Amino acid sequence: MQQEVVLALLAKEPSHGYQLRSWLQQALGPAGDAMNAGQIYVTLSRLEKAGLVSCEQAAGLPDRPDRKVYALTAAGQQRVAAWIADVSWPGPGLAEFHLKLIAAEAARLADPVDIINAQRGELLRQLREAQRAAMAEPHRSAAALLLEGIVLRLQADLRWLETCERNQTVRKDFS
Amino acid sequence: MSDTLSTDTRGTPVLRARGLRREYGRQAGLVRAVSGVDLDVAPGETVAIMGPSGCGKSTLLHLLGGLDRPSAGEIWLAGQSLRGLGERRLARLRRDTVGFVFQAFHLMEELTAAENVELPALLAGRSPGAARRQAGELLDRVGLADRARFLPAALSGGQRQRVAVARALVGDPRVVLADEPTGNLDSEATLDVLRLFEDLHVAGQTLVIVTHDARIAATADRLVTMRDGAFTDETRLTGGTAGAGSGLGALAGLEG
Amino acid sequence: MGQILLAARLVARDLRHRPGPAALLLVAITAATTVLTLALALHGVTSQPYQQTRAATNGPDAVAYLPVPVGPGPAGPGPAGPSPAVAAAELIHHAGVTAHSGPYPLVTAVVRAHGLAALAEAEGRAEAPAAVDQPKLTAGSWVRPGGVVIERTFAQALGVSVGDRVTLGGRRFTVAGIAVTAAMAPYPNICYMGAGSCFGNVGPGAGHFTPSEVGLIWTTEPDAMSLTTPASPVAAYVLNLKLSSPASAAAFAGQGPGPGAGVPLITWEGIANADGLLVSDEQSVLLPGAWLAGLLAAASVVVLAGGRMAERTRRTGLLKAVGATPGMVTAVLLAENLVLALLAAAAGLAAGWLAAPLITSPGAALVGAPGAPSLPLSVAGEVTGAAVLIALAATIGPAIRAARTSTVSALDDTVRKPRRGAVLIALSARLPVPLLLGLRLVARRPRRALLAAASTAVTASGIVAVLTFRATVAVRLAGVSRGLGNPVIDRDEQMLLVLTVVLVALTVLNAAVAAWATVLDGRRAFALARALGAAPSQVSAGIVAAQVIPAVPGALLGIPLGLGLFAAASQGGSLAVPPVWWLAAATVGTLAFMALLASIPARLGARRPPAQILQAETA
Repeated sequence: MQQEVVLALLAKEPSHGYQLRSWLQQALGPAGDAMNAGQIYVTLSRLEKAGLVSCEQAAGLPDRPDRKVYALTAAGQQRVAAWIADVSWPGPGLAEFHLKLIAAEAARLADPVDIINAQRGELLRQLREAQRAAMAEPHRSAAALLLEGIVLRLQADLRWLETCERNQTVRKDFS
Repeated sequence: MSDTLSTDTRGTPVLRARGLRREYGRQAGLVRAVSGVDLDVAPGETVAIMGPSGCGKSTLLHLLGGLDRPSAGEIWLAGQSLRGLGERRLARLRRDTVGFVFQAFHLMEELTAAENVELPALLAGRSPGAARRQAGELLDRVGLADRARFLPAALSGGQRQRVAVARALVGDPRVVLADEPTGNLDSEATLDVLRLFEDLHVAGQTLVIVTHDARIAATADRLVTMRDGAFTDETRLTGGTAGAGSGLGALAGLEG
Repeated sequence: MGQILLAARLVARDLRHRPGPAALLLVAITAATTVLTLALALHGVTSQPYQQTRAATNGPDAVAYLPVPVGPGPAGPGPAGPSPAVAAAELIHHAGVTAHSGPYPLVTAVVRAHGLAALAEAEGRAEAPAAVDQPKLTAGSWVRPGGVVIERTFAQALGVSVGDRVTLGGRRFTVAGIAVTAAMAPYPNICYMGAGSCFGNVGPGAGHFTPSEVGLIWTTEPDAMSLTTPASPVAAYVLNLKLSSPASAAAFAGQGPGPGAGVPLITWEGIANADGLLVSDEQSVLLPGAWLAGLLAAASVVVLAGGRMAERTRRTGLLKAVGATPGMVTAVLLAENLVLALLAAAAGLAAGWLAAPLITSPGAALVGAPGAPSLPLSVAGEVTGAAVLIALAATIGPAIRAARTSTVSALDDTVRKPRRGAVLIALSARLPVPLLLGLRLVARRPRRALLAAASTAVTASGIVAVLTFRATVAVRLAGVSRGLGNPVIDRDEQMLLVLTVVLVALTVLNAAVAAWATVLDGRRAFALARALGAAPSQVSAGIVAAQVIPAVPGALLGIPLGLGLFAAASQGGSLAVPPVWWLAAATVGTLAFMALLASIPARLGARRPPAQILQAETA
């Protein structure tokens, strides 16, 4: 969830809300245009209430939300680590995984290639299941059709993972 | 990254490689197709090797099958080391231990399906009757019994590849090596070959498959990723996540 | 204009890109054209040297052999008629006769030297030079009492030189000199001229010597007369005549002038022809040989051209895909081979011109070597025509086929699909692996197998023809040979040797080319066979088998063909079939030789690791 993304960003260093927002906009590009400007602050206050994030007022400034500096608590760090290692799929969309990769690299939480490999293994396991199930169903039955759809989407996701991996190697070559 | 060895204890490995290297050219023009690969394949296991094109997976497969000589390293096929074997003994070993399936099928155009399948048996010196009989059985097993007399030109791509698989099986090989078996096939034909590989796997055949295709890779027990001539990752695919039903539901987008 | 330039550029590019096969093609056609040039250059080569001898010796335009009338004798009544003196006077004073020498007595006697024996016609001469036909000495000096002069070829056959002792008619003489003449055909052709000069069937040697064992010796007149015996008198009187119009010598001889018809008269043209017999015999060996060489070269060319065509189908498809017309495509394909053919013709003409003196020296009988034979334009034209024909014949088929193929299938490279020979495939399954592979290779390309059989037949027929010649000669000389050299036969053997060498060379080329083409054509199949478990030795044995299997019927066919070839070349002369074991050895030897030749490309072709070849195919 987006919450975890924010947490991961704070793992790098404490930040202002507007810094986080501009970072997200940059990472998502056009796909993030629909994001509400104030959404980030809502998320931050939720996280604070949950005790995952602590908030400090910048000294000497009036009490305005965008002047607050947020940082991770210990619980927040634990949550981030668990999120990085989590391979459940599907997320609500590609964005989560995409952001996970970028955040992991920016905050040096893990090697993105390892994340990709782990995810790929999981997807292949699921593909295997779906494939087996599809072959067990009568040819062209309704069930087989749905399973075929699952298989095709998984294939597409796997191809995207491949592209992510290629991207990583290219960036490594240039770093 | 060469320490990803299989610790499967089901028996001595059918196929084993240590420190495999294959290089072409010299000095400035040196190309390292395979640089430092270790691999163990247990009996009955299916191993898939994936990677971008040019990463050396086909070269690796040719080395494992004795079709090419490594620049360095050692290979054991069914416990027999390939190092220093003369061409004749290599050929015999290949004949008895390995079945090869190629991306381009490589069927003889002027021979019927049955004649293509029986060819390795004839080369091994078996009697024509026995060879023909076994070819018939294998064609039946891959579902092409009624096409035994057809020339390859009269068969679809998927059917040709199934004939090629039958041919690879005629020597009762310990391991079947498949190099991009569905590379030249459309999705329908890919399904046919897929089913065939699943059947083989269930029957206990050891398979090493080099592939681009995630569907084929998904049939494997173990997936190895290759890049620039070396293994970069290995994942176990069998023994998967929790119950089939729930996973599939989520995949389909149903809220759990 | 642009099209021609383009065609020229394509041809040049291709020749430069793949010079190997083009060079082979060149060699094959050049060998054939060289042999053809030699054969044609022999034509009339002796006319020049004969003229030289005629000039040097003041040779006669006509020679009369005046018979000596004898009364009834043990052999029956001899020729009746006027006495030689009368007949001579008639001829000498005949209108049209401008000069004469003789009459000289001609006596036959047995000559022995160095353990050899032959029949000599001894012509009694004056020690002073004659007005017409004074033989030109090539060694020693002219006749003297007790000293004889021997005709050069005869002297070579007997193995005598100046100063040696010979026995003539039982009496001892010294060889005073060796000479050549234009007035009589040289040994051993004296008796092959037709009428007149042959007296081998009279006198002491009758029945003991064959017509080819007669030679000419000059002695002094008293010495010649001393050789006569009551049983063997003077055989005839020789009268050399010079005519006012030498060109009409034949007419003069046909007139039968003089008292009583039937004075044997020989013209200078007849002698010239007889001089040329040596050479025309050579030609009768070289021309069939040239045909054989041409056929073998054509076979090589067909294989080479066919192989190149197969590899160029894709190129043809590309050309057509970018807009070349079928005509253009055919033109380009033909032009390459025509260029090579023209080069080969030029090379063959040059080689033949250079080698001709070795072969065309007309024998010892005539003065002077012919020098570099003139190559009249006709010869050049014929040789060029032959080369072009060979190139055309080989390429016209594939060229038309290539031009007619649809562009798509050409790009697909599906044009030269291998044939399916179901029977052979089924049969081969029962055979050991090398024969299995070899037989299936043969079944894939039946036309090439046919070509291999034809080439082997050509080679085998050449070898059988040579063997037949040897057998025939052995029979002809059996029991008769006294060790005398026979320049005709010697020459023929030399010719045959040359021819055999050329044939063998072309066979080597042919077999190597065929094997190489098989290796190239089948490399994917071999790689596959090896991937499926065939050992390299089995594969190379299979390639060899694929060459030898079609060669067997060819070799067997060569036996009757070779016999027929010899019969045709010897123009109905006698023919002795060579013994069976010669033929068997020749057949087996030819096949073994072909197997050996094929094994080299076979081993090379079987060596490459299969992976490279198979990968290249999928690339």
